[in-house]
Amino acid sequence: MEFIVYPFLFIALYFEVFILLTFLSRPARERRERIPNGATPTVAMIVPCWNEEATIVENVTSLLALDYPEDKLSIVAVNDGSTDSTGEILDRHFANHPRVAVIHQENGGKHAALNTGIAHAEHAEFVGCLDADSFVESDALREVIPCFDRPEVAAATVAMSVHNPRNLLELMQNVEYILGIALRHVLSAVNGIYVTPGPFSLYRRDIVQKVGGFRFGHQTEDMEMALRLQREGYWIENAVRARVYTKVPPTLSGLITQRTRWTSGFLRNVAFDYRELVGNPKYGVLGLLVLPLGFLAILGGVLLFVTLAVSKTQDFVRAYMMHNGIPLSYVIDNALSFDWFYLPVSVFALVGIVALVGIVLFIVIGKTVSRTPAKLLSGMIAYGLVYRFLALIWLTRSLKDVAFGTHRPWR
Amino acid sequence: MSIPAKNALISLLITAAIIASVVFAIRYLDQQRVAQLNELQTELATDTLSIETQFALLEEAPCEALTEGNTLSREVTSLGERLSFTENRLGSDDAQVIQLKKQYTLLEIRDYLLTKRLTEACDVDSKVALYFYSNTPGTCEDCDRASYALGYLHNANPSLRIYSFDYNLDLGALATLIAVEKVEPRFPAFVIDGERIYGFESVDDFKTYFPKNFFATSTATTTEE
Repeated sequence: MEFIVYPFLFIALYFEVFILLTFLSRPARERRERIPNGATPTVAMIVPCWNEEATIVENVTSLLALDYPEDKLSIVAVNDGSTDSTGEILDRHFANHPRVAVIHQENGGKHAALNTGIAHAEHAEFVGCLDADSFVESDALREVIPCFDRPEVAAATVAMSVHNPRNLLELMQNVEYILGIALRHVLSAVNGIYVTPGPFSLYRRDIVQKVGGFRFGHQTEDMEMALRLQREGYWIENAVRARVYTKVPPTLSGLITQRTRWTSGFLRNVAFDYRELVGNPKYGVLGLLVLPLGFLAILGGVLLFVTLAVSKTQDFVRAYMMHNGIPLSYVIDNALSFDWFYLPVSVFALVGIVALVGIVLFIVIGKTVSRTPAKLLSGMIAYGLVYRFLALIWLTRSLKDVAFGTHRPWR
Repeated sequence: MSIPAKNALISLLITAAIIASVVFAIRYLDQQRVAQLNELQTELATDTLSIETQFALLEEAPCEALTEGNTLSREVTSLGERLSFTENRLGSDDAQVIQLKKQYTLLEIRDYLLTKRLTEACDVDSKVALYFYSNTPGTCEDCDRASYALGYLHNANPSLRIYSFDYNLDLGALATLIAVEKVEPRFPAFVIDGERIYGFESVDDFKTYFPKNFFATSTATTTEE
């Protein structure tokens, strides 16, 4: 049974080695050494909001606190038909603010709100998109701007982590986000980024308009935009020390909803709308490695779990039958007695350990290079023990949704 | 060659090297296991021969001088468990495993005969169970359960001597033992006090083939009146 997962294990290990080598290569080193260059082009930060009454003030306030010349930075808050008090709160706090424009519109979706903001920010060279549940460090914008030193760079991503993680689920997600920091940093060196995340990404305004603005993108407009930019031959960079903190779902049901949206969005965008990128050498690492492996990771995740579940259930039934009628004390004594002779080493177990060490290494790299303040130990343990099994829920759900054409609401 | 292409190629080589190292490490560990089994087997063969010689020399000697017998049986059991684990890992058709099993089976038969002689000569209060199993797929669904239960029963009362035999092992001495004990190819099969028993239901059922209080020391829930 284990043999089914060997190819996936090999590919996972191969990808880790590739990421590590790329991390050590010159292009990634140059990106780590990049420092703010003092350039301050005009920037408009767009905040699309739908029912964000709890975080919208803090969000806009964090943008106003950005270390950037006031005359070069404006904020466009687009209230996308909120049914809570988001609109009133925006009006009350920012309607008369000289650097904040508040726009109200009927609900049209996040992509429509972003396009409204971009159309309004006609004097800005760059537009930034910041989700209303995210907060930026004051130096974030100055860190991102140097990413655009080449004209072919259309967008830049940042280093995202979780805002004030409290419960175990949030701590696990923080570990995952920090792992994502390392991956995005490395992939930016080979133009392999396939998503410009909503919490904070910066775009050249003219290029976004040239490619047609944001689209619905199967509820993942940030992924769709990134894939479109890649298809048009642009680069997507990453500013690894531009830190942004985002709220994450604190409950399992919220997390499943969010991740099902992301995963099914990935599957639909890549398998249908942008399938010409997959396996296409023209798109380099993105086409030959990142996108195909993204698919394999989803299939492999499900397959790995099913294989393990079947194998462990068989072991459990066998063990139950064997131990039936025998005192527990004998069973426990036997299980606890250690003898190297009986060490259950296998290719699966050892390669799995190597792959796990690789993941831990990337988490440490992500935290270190981005200088993200975070306590990760408990989150890492829970991530290793629990998160993979939780992921199966949304991976399976997404595959089912895509196969049967099911569409779910945003939240 | 571009940096990503070079990295992709080097990554392939490194990944292959890691997998090869893992496979090599596992093979090395398995070889170490076989080497340990060989070593243990040689030691036990010498011990058996020594006791047999001692027994022949001191036929009139007090039986206390032969207490080594217990230790030897424990080691034979331990060797059997290790051999079984190694067989599971390397496969029952592995040449080294078959060779070790043949040596081990001979050792068991010699120990069995020695135990019988000691029991008769020294009036030792021990029980002997011969256990015949089959590795042929589909022929013995209950053999794993039976093996584990026998291990537990031996642990509960170490004076129970258990000798496990692969019924299908191609070994003359084993064929003779099977013929002498008249064991049919129905598995699992046991010979206890000359009685042949086929099949394994449960530990409690199996205990009924032994005297009533033979395992009493291990059952804390029962109270002697």
